[in-house]
Amino acid sequence: MSIILPLLLGVVFGFALNKAGLTKYHKIVNQFRLNDMAVLKFMLTALVVAMLGLYPLHALGVINFPTVPATYVVGNLVGGLIFGVGMALAGFCPGTCVAGAGEGKVDYLVPGILGFLTGAVIYGLTYDKVFPKISAIANYGNVTLPELWHINPYLAILVFTIMALVLFYLIDRMGMQRKKK
Amino acid sequence: MNWFIKQIRKEEWSPYAAGILLGIVGILTVVLTDKVLNAPKLLGASGGFENIAAYIGKAINPSNTYFNYVMPPGMTFAVILLVGIFFGGMLGAFSSRTLKFRTMDDEQWKMIFGKRTWKRWLVLFVGAIVLEYAAGIAGGCTSGLAISGGMLLVPAAFLFIAGMFMSGIVTALIIYGKRF
Repeated sequence: MSIILPLLLGVVFGFALNKAGLTKYHKIVNQFRLNDMAVLKFMLTALVVAMLGLYPLHALGVINFPTVPATYVVGNLVGGLIFGVGMALAGFCPGTCVAGAGEGKVDYLVPGILGFLTGAVIYGLTYDKVFPKISAIANYGNVTLPELWHINPYLAILVFTIMALVLFYLIDRMGMQRKKK
Repeated sequence: MNWFIKQIRKEEWSPYAAGILLGIVGILTVVLTDKVLNAPKLLGASGGFENIAAYIGKAINPSNTYFNYVMPPGMTFAVILLVGIFFGGMLGAFSSRTLKFRTMDDEQWKMIFGKRTWKRWLVLFVGAIVLEYAAGIAGGCTSGLAISGGMLLVPAAFLFIAGMFMSGIVTALIIYGKRF
């Protein structure tokens, strides 16, 4: 089960990335050019659906939450800033590169995957000099927003869902999207 | 049933439909790992690369902190997830009959960077290094931090997403210039 389960979850994940079209260079980069909002729609929809499932299941005692990713404000933000540069340059991220490689894209299979492995080696070897310092600044640990701000998680989910729906409405109905050139 | 087969064969779905599927995978990941493996886990992609890179990293520096204590080598959950993502992409392409070995398959890329394959390979290689290093600093990538963290309302995820969109837009503006 410890092999079959992650394999199956990965297959459905990769399948979703393929069907969303995110394994294509132009799909990713046009999100940053703001003339194709598929990435944003895909991510926000996934977040809303998953939130609406996970928090009630947790409250009912059906599931335990895993250890959540740690919040250290400067590191999360700086990491995101560097990540965006790579993503707009290459037009993929680690997950979409692997799914694209499975589709037969040799550009993703060879330089893409070799690049991620190289990046991981470089990161691991320089970890001591970089991570302890940057993660020490404004470190709140493995915490969620409702825990940190002492707010009701359902209120947070409601606000997030309404924000996502308003954004979808603005994009699809009010034309809040740049024209394709 | 015909409708279902027609949908499966479509090359591209509405991002909302694909997003709902990803959301369900996100829920199932936590539920099934908690129930079946007794250790709830999250989806991710960059972590798997680190577990594989650890074999190389430990060979270069055997006493390295990261590959000994933080991300040791091994066929971990994250690595098998990557194998699954690979086959998932394959299944998706197979279902829409687009499965094929190919290079330089993006017209927009050619318009901006030209037709040379080595140039694409260089940009993708360097881009991938930048992405993986950034994911290391941030504590995850688009899947392991943005999606997996965001669905549990983790502040780190929203900081990461904000950073990613800000610099992504600026980078695209620089690359595309007048064509932005």
